[in-house]
Amino acid sequence: MQLSINGKTVEVDAAPDMPVLWMLRDLLNLTGTKYGCGMALCGACTVHLDGQPVRSCVVPVSAAQGKAIKTIESLGANGRLHALQQAWIDEQVPQCGYCQSGMLMAAAALLEHKPRPSDADIDAAMTNLCRCGSYQRVRSAIHRAALELRGGSA
Amino acid sequence: MKRRTWILSALGATGALVVGWGVMPARSRMGDPATMLPTRGDVALNGWIKIAADGSVILAMPRSEMGQGVHTGLATLVAEELDVPFSLIQLEQAGYESLYGNISMLVASLPFHPLESEGGNKPAKVRIGEWMVGKVARELGINATGGSSSLADAWDTVRMAAAAARSALLGAAAALWHVPVAELRIVDGQVRHASGRSTHFGTLAAAAVHSPAPVVLKERKDWTRIGTSPLRRDVPAKVDGSAQFGIDVRVPGMLFAAVRMCPMLGGSVAALDSQAALAMPGVRKVVPLEAVAGSTAGFAVVAQTSWHARNAALAVPVQWQQRAAGALDSDRIQEALLARLKTDPGFVFYEKGDAAVAEAGAASVLRATYSAPYLAHATLEPMNCTAQFRDGKLTVWAPTQVPGFARDVAARVAGIDAEQVTLHVTYLGGGFGRRLEVDSVAQAVQVAMACDGQPVQLLWSREEDTTHDFYRPLHVAQLSAALDAQGQASSLRIHSAGDAITPRWMARGMPALAGPVDTPDKTTAEGLFDLPYGFTHQHMAHVATRSEVPVGFWRSVGHSHNAFFSEGFVDELAHAAKTDPLEFRRALLKDAPRYLAVLNLAAEKAGWGKPLPAGHAHGVALHESFGSIVAEVAEVSLEEGKPRVHKVVCAVDCGTVINPGVVAQQMESSVVFGLSAALFGRIDIRNGEVQQTNFHNYPLLTLAQTPAVETWLLPSERPPAGVGEPGVPPVAPAVANALFVLTGKRLRALPLQV
Repeated sequence: MQLSINGKTVEVDAAPDMPVLWMLRDLLNLTGTKYGCGMALCGACTVHLDGQPVRSCVVPVSAAQGKAIKTIESLGANGRLHALQQAWIDEQVPQCGYCQSGMLMAAAALLEHKPRPSDADIDAAMTNLCRCGSYQRVRSAIHRAALELRGGSA
Repeated sequence: MKRRTWILSALGATGALVVGWGVMPARSRMGDPATMLPTRGDVALNGWIKIAADGSVILAMPRSEMGQGVHTGLATLVAEELDVPFSLIQLEQAGYESLYGNISMLVASLPFHPLESEGGNKPAKVRIGEWMVGKVARELGINATGGSSSLADAWDTVRMAAAAARSALLGAAAALWHVPVAELRIVDGQVRHASGRSTHFGTLAAAAVHSPAPVVLKERKDWTRIGTSPLRRDVPAKVDGSAQFGIDVRVPGMLFAAVRMCPMLGGSVAALDSQAALAMPGVRKVVPLEAVAGSTAGFAVVAQTSWHARNAALAVPVQWQQRAAGALDSDRIQEALLARLKTDPGFVFYEKGDAAVAEAGAASVLRATYSAPYLAHATLEPMNCTAQFRDGKLTVWAPTQVPGFARDVAARVAGIDAEQVTLHVTYLGGGFGRRLEVDSVAQAVQVAMACDGQPVQLLWSREEDTTHDFYRPLHVAQLSAALDAQGQASSLRIHSAGDAITPRWMARGMPALAGPVDTPDKTTAEGLFDLPYGFTHQHMAHVATRSEVPVGFWRSVGHSHNAFFSEGFVDELAHAAKTDPLEFRRALLKDAPRYLAVLNLAAEKAGWGKPLPAGHAHGVALHESFGSIVAEVAEVSLEEGKPRVHKVVCAVDCGTVINPGVVAQQMESSVVFGLSAALFGRIDIRNGEVQQTNFHNYPLLTLAQTPAVETWLLPSERPPAGVGEPGVPPVAPAVANALFVLTGKRLRALPLQV
């Protein structure tokens, strides 16, 4: 089947019920998207489907047909980091880093919809699990990136 | 068993290596240049430092990066002593020579009370014990990233290696230019002379090999990097998806394996029918898995992708068999531990005065029983390992905290010499002690041996990961104190029981050293016998049990539950004395000024005693572990009857601070880790089966539930101590102590149920 992944049309030989996560990781070697639980509980597998954050471990490829799949590998554009990625570096968010692809994709979707998120917005949108406890810095980095994307005006 | 007998018996486990150590030459940990193999024209100056042709510095990296910042930490020591920018330092996975072993971790397993060495002068028995264990550790050369020990262990060694390289490079430049060394300096990785001459290390390296020179470490006042917070070197790859964890290894032609182990711990496969699975799309093989390195037996399905493999594994009809000795059950184990406390006085780790006499003559005796459940590590990256066996050689890719153990078990399973194994250590998607185990490595090799030279990535599902961990052992403790008529305590007695960890771990990782019986295990009693408080009479004993549940090191190990017991009970004593819990502790810390300073700093920064919002309360806990003292003040309220932690203020004395940013990160991390355990964490075993399976019934703290965490550091010129774990132990008691203020109910079991 044909899928749109990171702006490119890709021919994938996958069963319709194969989760997007495993298609990305094991068929296309796009390993930035992680497996954590397989039950949409942890968010390590978060990607965008037509701009919406989804947990790709429970989304079959059949449901992604005709939609744009975007993964961590294309969060930055033209060799430049996304404002969130830069904020993640500035705030030194990652520790082990395993959850961070999913965190970043969830945060990117949040900022698309809410350029000026409140703490409550962040609480509601960022339900990804981080075993290293990077949450406090995730919150700070989202605020920092939001400010940057708004052109630095508070 | 007498204490001395025990130390000797513990050392006896390594007897063959100990014999004759006195006549062996002292072995430097700087290592011979031959330990680092030259690649791409670089030149080794010792066992840690190579110089590349372009002048960059290559550091042998024996420690695993699992989020704690160790790659940045060790590079910082090199940057400091060599005056080289971080951008010019490359890391190369260290080999297996014993010089890369972690000596500090093993020395820290000695059961000496920390206050004995607090003044800086270690008593003779401590010096002798540390020397002996240091010698043994140097011979064993166990390369492990654990025990919050990496920087403590590297502190002298890596700085010396870098300083030696510096001396040699300066000597080479002096000879080349015919100038005195005193006229040379190093700026940003360039050797410069007052005349304006300048060159990079690459042009000097070959001559530097033959330019031995005295090694002089920089003085503290001249440090420009230690004590700063450079950006972590692993972070850029962790924001764009390019960081390679074990699960991300991709080798051409690779197959994927899913695992199912007997759900009943220690059980086995009675019968299975692989026909249906083999008929499923993408499936190649069904491979039986023996119980190796502490795992439970089961089978693996090899397929085109992890998804195909998992689906097929779930479709295999299998008849499981309970372990011969009967089903494990956590409730029964807890009852057995409590019963054991009635009959077994345990091993006395610490004795001062006479607690029994104090209790006999007391106006009253306060007694309490505390408990803590089994806990899973729940690293977000599930257990996995990739292996390929071809032409008698094995290549393994593993996210491991113990590369030497991993290589050895791989060789044992494959039936080849360890020299025939090439092991690549990837980034670890969390470790927390789980990856000190090599069970999944042994499984991956079993599967690879059956795959005709094809590489295979073996990956556990979250369910297998949660139900087949090496759990933080269940523990119970009885605590008692003699009170006078005013409620003041004069004694503290602690009698605890739970499984020993270290002997089992050594048996799994180094079977040749497995002893016939378990020795008392400091790592499970730590945090009970080593308290700073000046109770006149103390008696601290631990009963090391062996329940056969697989148990392992869980971030902060014995401290993780023992601090809950001891700091909860000390809080009880404060209330019995009708004294503010902070003041009560202060009064008992007159002879422990460093502890007192940490406690005071946390209290001051948290505003202890000042008004809080209605319905909020403070709880405090103080605990030393891994050489570092941490005090935490938690601000807690109840929301819909459930604990809500708003803020945790941490004060830390971890000796010399190498990277304050990383220390703060680890405190934030520890608070979240500790809260997940304090509020939700429990593993129950019924009929041999772990009942919790995934994050819906083994929940982790979420962002919305995370308190604000503040970290305050005490200045210190002591050598660096641990930071990855010491923030964990005070969390649960600080929260429980605040909940007592809110509810009047003393919570003595984890997780905290209000």
